Amino acid sequence: MRKIFSVILLIIICWGIILSLYKIPFGIPKTKVGEYYLNKGKEETGAANIVTSVVLNYRGFDTLGEVTVLFIAAIGLGAVLATLKKKGKRKVEQASLILYTGCRFLFPLILLFGAYVFIHGHLTPGGGFQGGAIIASAFVLVYLGCRGKRINEVSSKTTESLGGLIFIVIGLIGLAIGGHYFLSNFLPKGELNTLFSAGIIPIIYIAIGFKVGSELAGVIDNLFEES
Amino acid sequence: MLKKNVENKYWVKNFLYLFFFLIIIWLALTSTFQWEELIVGILISFLLALFLNKNYLKLGFPPLSIKRIAVSIVYFIVLFFEIIKANFDVAYRVIHPKMPIKPGIVVIKTGLKQDIAKMILANSITLTPGTFTLDIIEDKLLIHWINVKTEGLEEATKIIGERFEKYLKVIFA
Repeated sequence: MRKIFSVILLIIICWGIILSLYKIPFGIPKTKVGEYYLNKGKEETGAANIVTSVVLNYRGFDTLGEVTVLFIAAIGLGAVLATLKKKGKRKVEQASLILYTGCRFLFPLILLFGAYVFIHGHLTPGGGFQGGAIIASAFVLVYLGCRGKRINEVSSKTTESLGGLIFIVIGLIGLAIGGHYFLSNFLPKGELNTLFSAGIIPIIYIAIGFKVGSELAGVIDNLFEES
Repeated sequence: MLKKNVENKYWVKNFLYLFFFLIIIWLALTSTFQWEELIVGILISFLLALFLNKNYLKLGFPPLSIKRIAVSIVYFIVLFFEIIKANFDVAYRVIHPKMPIKPGIVVIKTGLKQDIAKMILANSITLTPGTFTLDIIEDKLLIHWINVKTEGLEEATKIIGERFEKYLKVIFA
């Protein structure tokens, strides 16, 4: 009895899902705004990567909010963990030679890869957030391999603040002289699909890359303090 | 004064090494010779190499020479074939109904001096399936072996380490 009941219930649920999905036309965009981005995005922003043009141009204000959320999260973590007294130089066991050597060898190469990802944000999949995360991962490697080394807190915080400041200042300049909205593109757009194109987008992404990278590295630093 | 000169020499060497690596990686990533990409790549590589070459000071890279580059290329081909050979060996042990494995940890010796050379040797041993480097202590490598043929230090060194080390010794001589 119970089995029959469950089968009937399953059929009813499936029927309901099929009915509701059947009405949605396949392959036809329901919203006009997506179509607009796809058709006009390249001319209006000059970025070959449409996602970037949406994230940093049409919805730049939203991105500012995202960056702020990350910033507040980092601050909150710092505030919670800073109540613990900072120990001086931690006594740590030396990492094995393989990890130690690999860390010293790979650190600059990972930084270069992170820089590549955020500099090419307007051309390839990727961008400031991803590049920043890669740069933070290089610092994780340093913490694992070259133990006892710490990032310089002052320079990390300075980089972070400068990144945020550049973002906001460029957005406000765009608002003042470029057009009618935050982050409007006031620099020449250049030729599509070359490195120096898309006006302010690469500059903003470089700022975000530095900001996210130093922020995440700071978060990791705080957590390592705890352990 | 002399000491400072020696340090300067090392500084230039390390700088060039790091710069060379970074430029190669940049070219591989962008895979283009557009002048904008080249300028930005050279700029970033220059800055990174300028600030981070201290880490490269004690890795112990050898001076570049044509012979060393040739031997490195040979080494990579040898490594590739060793990996394929070891793959078949491990696959055979997995598929075989009796599963003829005899796992254990052996110690082998290496004559390599530089950190980077030891790391390459250890990673090559790890990359070939069946052998796995656990740790390096001074000139001894701890190896986990899927089929321990011998527990003796000399013989194990001959079977596991020698096939890679003879090339590395030429490169890092």
